Amino acid sequence: MSTVAETTTGERSSARRSEKKAGLSDRTRGERRLGWKLAGPAFIVMLLVTFYPIAYALYLSLFNYRLTDPAARKFVWFQNYITSLSDPLFWKATGITAFITIVTLIVELIFGMAIAMVMNKIVLPRKTLRTVVLIPYSIITVVSAFSWLYAFKFDTGFFNHWLHFLSFGAFDPTYNWFGGTWSSLTIICLSEIWKTTPFMSLLLLAGLAQVDRSMEEAAEVDGASWWQRQVKVVFPSMKAAIMVAVVFRALDAFRIYDNPFIMTGGANNTNTLSMLVGQTTVSQAEIGMGSALAVLLFVFVLIIAAGLVRLFKVDLTGGNK
Amino acid sequence: METNKTKWGLAGASVPIMLWTLIPIVWIVATSLKSTTALADQQQNVFGNFWPKSISWDNYSLIFTGGAKDLFVPALWHSIVVCLVATLISVVLATFCAYAIARLDFPGKKAILITALTVSFFPVIAMVTPLFNLWRILHLFDTLPGLIIPYITLTLPLSIWILSAFFQQIPWEMEQAAQVDGASSWQAFVKVVAPLAAPGVFTTAIIAFFTAWNDFVFSSNLTAARAQTVPAALNSFTGASQFTQPTGAICAAAVVVTIPVVILVLLFQRRIVAGLTSGAVKG
Amino acid sequence: MKNSAPRRRGIALAAAGVMLASVGLAACGSSSSSSGGKASLTWYINPDVGNTDASKGGQASLALACSKASHGEYTIKVQLLPNPADDQRTQLLRRLISGDNSMDLMSMDPAYVTQFASAKLLAPVPADKVADFTADRVPSAIKGATFDGKLIAAPFWANTQLLWYRKSVAKAAGLDMSKPVTWAQVIAAAKKEKKQIGVQAKLYEGYSVWINALVAGGGGSIVQNPSATADKTKLGLNTPAGKDAASIISQIAKSGLGGPAIGSSDETAALNLFQSGAAAFLVNWPYTYAALTGNKSDIAATIYPRTVDGKVAAPPFGGIDLAVGKTSNHVAQAYDAASCITSEANQASYMAKAGNPASRKAAFSDPAVKKAFPNGIAATILQSLGTATPRPLSPYWSDISTGLQQEFSPPASVSANTPKNAQTFISNVLKGKALL
Repeated sequence: MSTVAETTTGERSSARRSEKKAGLSDRTRGERRLGWKLAGPAFIVMLLVTFYPIAYALYLSLFNYRLTDPAARKFVWFQNYITSLSDPLFWKATGITAFITIVTLIVELIFGMAIAMVMNKIVLPRKTLRTVVLIPYSIITVVSAFSWLYAFKFDTGFFNHWLHFLSFGAFDPTYNWFGGTWSSLTIICLSEIWKTTPFMSLLLLAGLAQVDRSMEEAAEVDGASWWQRQVKVVFPSMKAAIMVAVVFRALDAFRIYDNPFIMTGGANNTNTLSMLVGQTTVSQAEIGMGSALAVLLFVFVLIIAAGLVRLFKVDLTGGNK
Repeated sequence: METNKTKWGLAGASVPIMLWTLIPIVWIVATSLKSTTALADQQQNVFGNFWPKSISWDNYSLIFTGGAKDLFVPALWHSIVVCLVATLISVVLATFCAYAIARLDFPGKKAILITALTVSFFPVIAMVTPLFNLWRILHLFDTLPGLIIPYITLTLPLSIWILSAFFQQIPWEMEQAAQVDGASSWQAFVKVVAPLAAPGVFTTAIIAFFTAWNDFVFSSNLTAARAQTVPAALNSFTGASQFTQPTGAICAAAVVVTIPVVILVLLFQRRIVAGLTSGAVKG
Repeated sequence: MKNSAPRRRGIALAAAGVMLASVGLAACGSSSSSSGGKASLTWYINPDVGNTDASKGGQASLALACSKASHGEYTIKVQLLPNPADDQRTQLLRRLISGDNSMDLMSMDPAYVTQFASAKLLAPVPADKVADFTADRVPSAIKGATFDGKLIAAPFWANTQLLWYRKSVAKAAGLDMSKPVTWAQVIAAAKKEKKQIGVQAKLYEGYSVWINALVAGGGGSIVQNPSATADKTKLGLNTPAGKDAASIISQIAKSGLGGPAIGSSDETAALNLFQSGAAAFLVNWPYTYAALTGNKSDIAATIYPRTVDGKVAAPPFGGIDLAVGKTSNHVAQAYDAASCITSEANQASYMAKAGNPASRKAAFSDPAVKKAFPNGIAATILQSLGTATPRPLSPYWSDISTGLQQEFSPPASVSANTPKNAQTFISNVLKGKALL
């Protein structure tokens, strides 16, 4: 904290001195210099810890480089990319990742909006509800994955028994959710939805809070039904919040790793792109191919981000001026 | 126009929401309280294999004093140390950075914010491959610094982003006003600036800590045992011996690491909500 | 500007503080123990009866006993590896290629020792230890620890799977267990008595163990030329033996005989299925007997089922070899410790208490071992080790195995085309033309 004091003092005296010396332009220059001095370290650290690895990955991706056979390291140009892009496994993982992203996004948008609306208007357990809803956000994703995994396993779980009871015995209590692609994906998506809906609903709630109540009331006076009011007044005026929520969640969901890793480990064709990168690098020690896959994943995320931002014309830095 | 009917209707609607949120947590607590035999035999549990008839603390003794101790206790320390250090570094760096962004006018401000945003959407696994090779060469594989550095990638952009939003809402004129009133710079800082900035810094630290605490990708790929954090350790849990499944031990460990974060949420709910939404939505 | 200096120093100091903190932590993190005289060895053990608890008779107990017996030459500290064999491999591999110098002793599945040796990650066995490490060993154990004609690790346990069954069920089904049985007979008996068969068919190494045993039992071998380079490796899946294997897996999976969760069934899950009584047959390692609880009078073990009638079964060969990492600071002491751990007395005690069979034949006639494996089970294990077949000793086995598991998963999707598809896929992977 003393460093903060020192810098503020420094800034003050420097500003004062430059004022005396050469007037406004010097002062602006001083402010610019100081701005970069304060912001620079954070910016440089950020670049070092993220862009350096990505640049290094770009370089490594041009090699056929296996750590169990380092002597055979060979420069192969774009061979790794060609192999990946022409591989059905790669596209399968891309498809699964896209599927999870789209499904969780849609469900969370509907679900998050419903929760946000209740939170916005609720009177009675207002604080309790807001606190409870926030809890999944704070839970470690791996813990959430284990909880849902054990809940749906037919031997240790409770869910099959509840379904069996609720369906008056029609549901087979030994049904194996983790035996097929779609049933496994259902549970993976459920865990992901449970964990990330709070964030979504908080963003939407912040948007709801900005909706002009008088306009809604005016619409009500005009005889608009509840649904008409939402569609005509509420949703349009919180469009920015919805778009921000969609962009944030889509980009977050596309890198899904923890839930499928814990629940299926990639069995039943539930490998996601992130998992494919991890397996290639760490289990097979294929540094070159793993780097190529990492770069491809990065490019995908950039494309999605650019596409969504352009589509919605959202200024993501809006809140930050 | 809040009628009594909508009031109760909303209260009713909040019940399924809270149930949906709480059942998975209660479930993991319930599983952690089951004995090895209760885990295998549904006759020993009630509510459709949900809650054990008799509570057993075996799983907790297994992770704190029993066979899983050597895996869990160090992992807990690693998690605490790595996350605290990464949070501290990030928040300190971000405080300078956000202060500059909020108070000073300099070219590149927007570039810093956009970079922070881009970085926070990095597919983290993409950094694992190059880092793994780099750490291998630098002998940082499976060390605490080898985890702290990548964790800064997770926490720093987030901290810059949230703190900038916080700092922009602070009425900085008060600082100058205090100095005009004859207070020294130090007094002005302690009396005026610090109290204004502290809540934002604190909230940012909590959110950054949660983010680091949650990480599995880096920890499971860049460590093996000596720097492994809890999420990765959960995945490599073994039962008491080769032929017991680690279900109970994993759940007990999960409960232990969940309690502190839930307490933080209960205490600072409002602040966390403000922090999470501040950077994203104007308001 | 003059006054910028203190500020810069402030930032530099803060950065230095961070660096120092990191370095300090690094020192805590990696404890390289190279104190003079007494060597402190780290032994990476796979989970067994006691894990890190030295009072249960597992590897931790042997570590303690040998530390004492060395009279101050070394002390052994155990470090537990994860349970699945593939995760053990990944962890050891990651540590070895990152130059970790704590890799003094490693308990390693023989299927992976070849890969580690060919990547030159292991310290060669000293010439004066070869005789000790090969003395009185079952032949498959020596074969499993040999690469390029050289011994690369010390054979410790020699594991093999047996067919465990409930006598009452076999009797009711009219299955004569005194003679070798085939998979077809076991399937028919289970179907007749409405019982299940415990197998390992999760996406993990244990599934490859099963597939390999089935192919080898049909007279085939998954890899025709294990010592060839990756692109020259010839596979033997698309063969009659491969198709027999696929047919057995498909029959068990499609009829539900493997239990409701065959696709996530590993050794422990299969054991639980057998323990609960839902399964009356189980293929599993010998520790099964010690792990089963309750009245065991109805339980018996025999030789692994035959793939085809008239051809001797090829039971899976497993076990653990002790390997020494190339980067270890104490290679000589580590090999001395390996010698102590694999001594006849220690192997017998380990077999009796941990339930994992010794690689030394003499251990099987030890009274404690006979008591731990009663009713002739000890003799059955030794007999099974005689025909047990290791997984192909190819340096690329981990890739082949992963490809195999992927193509054969989920088990219910296995068809007559699976071996052919798997062969094409794995060949492409080995040639670097396909991702795994």
